[in-house]
Amino acid sequence: MRVLVVEDDDALRGDLVRRLGEKGFAVESAADGEEGLYFGREFPFDAGVIDLGLPGLSGMSLIQRLREEEVRFPILILTARDRWQDKVEGLRAGADDYLTKPFHVEELLARLNALMRRSAGWAKPVLEAGPIQLDTSSQEVRLDGESLELTGFEYKVLEYLMLHSGEVISKSDLTEHLYQQDFERDSNVIEVFIGRLRRKLDPRGRLNPIQTLRGRGYRFALERSTG
Amino acid sequence: MPAARQATSLHRRLLIAGGIGLAAFLGLTGVVLDAAFRDSARAAVQDRLQGQVYALLAAAELADDGTLMIPAGLPEERLSRPGSGLYAGVFGTDFKWLSDSALGVDLPWERGLDPGESRFSGPLASDAGTVFRLGQGVAWETDASGSVRFTFDVMESTAVFHEQVDRFRRTLWIWLGAAALVLLGLQYALQRWTLKPLRAVSAELEEVEAGRQEALHGRYPAELAAFRDHLNAFIQAEREHLKRYRNTLADLAHSLKTPLAVLRGGLSGGGPSSEDLPRLRGQVDRMDELVAYRLKRAAHAGGRTLGAGTRVAPVAEQVTSALEKVHAGRGLRCELALDPEAEFPGEEGDLYELLGNLADNAFKWARGRVRVTARAVPADRRHGLELAVEDDGPGMPPGKFDELVRRGARGDERKPGQGLGLAMVDDIVRAYGGKLSSETGALGGARVVVRFPGR
Repeated sequence: MRVLVVEDDDALRGDLVRRLGEKGFAVESAADGEEGLYFGREFPFDAGVIDLGLPGLSGMSLIQRLREEEVRFPILILTARDRWQDKVEGLRAGADDYLTKPFHVEELLARLNALMRRSAGWAKPVLEAGPIQLDTSSQEVRLDGESLELTGFEYKVLEYLMLHSGEVISKSDLTEHLYQQDFERDSNVIEVFIGRLRRKLDPRGRLNPIQTLRGRGYRFALERSTG
Repeated sequence: MPAARQATSLHRRLLIAGGIGLAAFLGLTGVVLDAAFRDSARAAVQDRLQGQVYALLAAAELADDGTLMIPAGLPEERLSRPGSGLYAGVFGTDFKWLSDSALGVDLPWERGLDPGESRFSGPLASDAGTVFRLGQGVAWETDASGSVRFTFDVMESTAVFHEQVDRFRRTLWIWLGAAALVLLGLQYALQRWTLKPLRAVSAELEEVEAGRQEALHGRYPAELAAFRDHLNAFIQAEREHLKRYRNTLADLAHSLKTPLAVLRGGLSGGGPSSEDLPRLRGQVDRMDELVAYRLKRAAHAGGRTLGAGTRVAPVAEQVTSALEKVHAGRGLRCELALDPEAEFPGEEGDLYELLGNLADNAFKWARGRVRVTARAVPADRRHGLELAVEDDGPGMPPGKFDELVRRGARGDERKPGQGLGLAMVDDIVRAYGGKLSSETGALGGARVVVRFPGR
């Protein structure tokens, strides 16, 4: 999942980038509104975390501009001013949720996960399709109720495919959304991960949860069991 | 910052306006009276000259040869004295008579008027200065030669007229000036008297500012009494604000010291050990909540006494639509029953805070429905307000509500991690003289009601 962080406080921004990175997010960060606007326009993000009190272009205006330009990824606002009027204005400007500083990073992660899930059309934190259950809050995957051992990256690939189940996801989509911007992109690595995922999810080869569409990409093909 | 030039004082404004009005009125009066007097003085000159003409006519006798005989000793002695300023002349065909006063003076005589025709003119320029002139055409019937025509002319120097007009003018302007002075003095005195309460207010305010007085006590006319009451309420609110800030800061400093001491203790002696960490983290959370709650509590405006209230409907709509967005995906239905007349008796920011906290709780607990109702309770001056937020969640066990509200009472006794919304709401409601209560709602969950009395 690619996340945009716009925060002017260096310490907090560094902390966010580090913690989100640890949780497997591909993070781009900007220290002011203008840079944030540039990133928001140029890259396909899955979510954004935007501080309202930015120098120059304010967080509120940044959100408005992004929404005016049809940038649709869900946005979580951070605000130090714990006033309802500010929260309401931020949400009206186009944000989807808010968090008041200071906050626990766990809370931020939970909110971000919920936002991304919701924007992909999943209402509950546990994504279910056939015998596969993926818990976005504990990052656990179960097959027929049995816990599966997945690496962090395998989990991210599966989460992305499941969130967008039914859609065709190209290899470049996957690299764009799962890799850090300055990371060496090697689409062969994706094939390797998909192969491993298939073996883990479908050891007997009768489920075929991840289809390959030649030249186009992959599709998570199991029907959603939950909304 | 350069001091803004002070606006002209009320006293001066009234004096200037009154002075200009008075000058215009008296000036116009003077001009009109002056013109009227000139007209009547001129008419008097005409009458006088006409009288002279009649006197001449009476004295004149027609001789047989068709000329006129005018006796030397006329009743008007000025006609006999050269340079007297009164001149007469009679002109006929081949006939000319001049009064002694007119001899040797070149005057603009009027000749050849028709019988019965009378013409008054002037002032006319002449050798003897400016004059008024009255000419009268006359016809004499003779036995011998039928009708003989003459023109009787009388002229008078304008000196007399001018003297009269000047005298009148002098008297007129002296009196008008005196009247103006008296009226201005009267206006000044009246103003001092009328504006006295305002000066008293400002003097009292200075006393309040200097801290020698708590509020405005003076007895004021009805127009200012309401102003005084509002001002007193305002001063009172301001004082309470200040008190609250002071208390808050003192409380905050006090209650931050304990966790700080724990933290310092934990950090001394080679840094915290791993079993210390949860305890230290707890202290940080506690400090965070102290700052959030105590400061926020001091910051909310509260107790606004002046100005209009804030309409509930638009704020409620915005708050609920924002929360619907946050809770999207849970399929909650939010019902609004908002009286467009319903008004919160305070600041917009406080209404956001109040509704935000209540609705946030309702959205969090609701299973499927949230309902916000606002109703204006009619009253004489300002309507009361009844505001209710309810949900179909599990509701609150008895006693829980009071516990939640009381939680704000002493921030340093609270356990960290518990919501402060209701305590916050209670603070705001109290600040505006309202009441917060909880009931079991029709939806089955909690129903929190806020009531503000009307006035």
